Amino acid sequence: MEQDIKIETLIVMSVAIFAVLATVAFLVPFEDSNTKLFFIALVTVLTAINVVGLFMVWQSSPTIVDEVFLMTPTGMLLKHYTRRLRPDQDTDIMAGMLTAVQNFVRDSFDEAGGRLNEIRFENYDILISHTKNVVLAAIISTKKPEKLRVELKNANDDIEKAFGERLSHWSGDKSELGDVDVLMKKLLSGKYRK
Amino acid sequence: MELKEILKKVVLLGDGGVGKTSLIARYVVNKFDDKYIATIGTKVSKKDIQVVRPDLIINLKLMIWDILGQKEYSKIRTSSMSGAQGLILVGDLSRPETVRSLEDFWLKEVKLSVGNIPTVIVGNKVDLLKKESMEAATLEAMGERLGYPTLLCSAKTGRNVEEIFSTLGEMLLEGVVSTAKTRKEKAPQTLAEVVDFIVQDFCAQYGDLEKAMLIVQHQFEEAGVDIRKPSKDAVLRALDGLAKAEELTLTKSVARVNLEERQRMVILSKG
Repeated sequence: MEQDIKIETLIVMSVAIFAVLATVAFLVPFEDSNTKLFFIALVTVLTAINVVGLFMVWQSSPTIVDEVFLMTPTGMLLKHYTRRLRPDQDTDIMAGMLTAVQNFVRDSFDEAGGRLNEIRFENYDILISHTKNVVLAAIISTKKPEKLRVELKNANDDIEKAFGERLSHWSGDKSELGDVDVLMKKLLSGKYRK
Repeated sequence: MELKEILKKVVLLGDGGVGKTSLIARYVVNKFDDKYIATIGTKVSKKDIQVVRPDLIINLKLMIWDILGQKEYSKIRTSSMSGAQGLILVGDLSRPETVRSLEDFWLKEVKLSVGNIPTVIVGNKVDLLKKESMEAATLEAMGERLGYPTLLCSAKTGRNVEEIFSTLGEMLLEGVVSTAKTRKEKAPQTLAEVVDFIVQDFCAQYGDLEKAMLIVQHQFEEAGVDIRKPSKDAVLRALDGLAKAEELTLTKSVARVNLEERQRMVILSKG
């Protein structure tokens, strides 16, 4: 299972390592100043390596998507993908309400017909990508929405290209949708990642 | 047996206080509090309807958008109406002005936003209606003039509430049902073919094939159906037994619809 590392954890770890090494450098009675300087330089280099290394690990760790809603702009749920079991949740209603909230925000705050692209709540981020006939909303709890935003947009562009025309006059019959799973699996397995 | 899942967006409109929210409260899947209607202008609920045809089962999901009835909030209302495929217009029979505004205001607004869509006109609070009241007649005349079915109902007593959804559901499925009707023309003709079809249909709807076959076998034996040379009387007797079994696993209404459809097929079959 892929491990998610939060930036806060990295900072705490780096500071802790630096503090321990710095304390050792100042408390241990070195025989001469050259040895002390050498040790302080070593502490600095090790801390730098630690910070850079851990930052690279954080950068390369993927954004874990908890749920994805594939919807029409009118709030009809086409597909729902989740890695959590939430039996109390009705995904059709969730999709509708998510759209209702977007409508409310757009109508309340933006006269120019803009779109709501992100909702943040405690540990959750809901990223929303729009095209003419498709809306993709991803719920993540890993606090790295910026990494997913481009993937979501690319996936949505592909879905629009493949299914947009069909969805523009969709009757509501789910069997008419075609195999959208192929593109969604590509998104969920990280194939849209650069 | 073909299975179809169809999703339709339905909007519920009418003046404030006519009972739109109460009308659906007991009959739909509600996951969100009614306060959302006042806060964001809309609340989405769901009503599942199963429509059974001889060779087709349709799971119709009506996504019901209950929209704020205050006329001033036109912007949020227009957004919520976008993409609606069905409309339930509700008036309060005890307040004549709410009945009048259905045609004068709400219908005009829907037509501007989404055009002509399948519509049911509902007169709510029929339980409060006085005998001499003209509102019911006014509403029915309006429905007739506009060509929409009209239902008088009561959210309080539950009268006719289910009928609102089933009527609209039938209207929304007209295209699908006509496809089913076309298929009906190719339906089995001889009694043996009809029996074979009924057995398959029963098993498909029952779910557990092994159990379903045991029930069929038992009911056919009880009714004296000779599977190689069945008689209509015996098959009709067996159908009653199958319907009773379906009442326990499906719903009473589905079992009844199945029974009537199967009886019709048996009676019309050759042989």
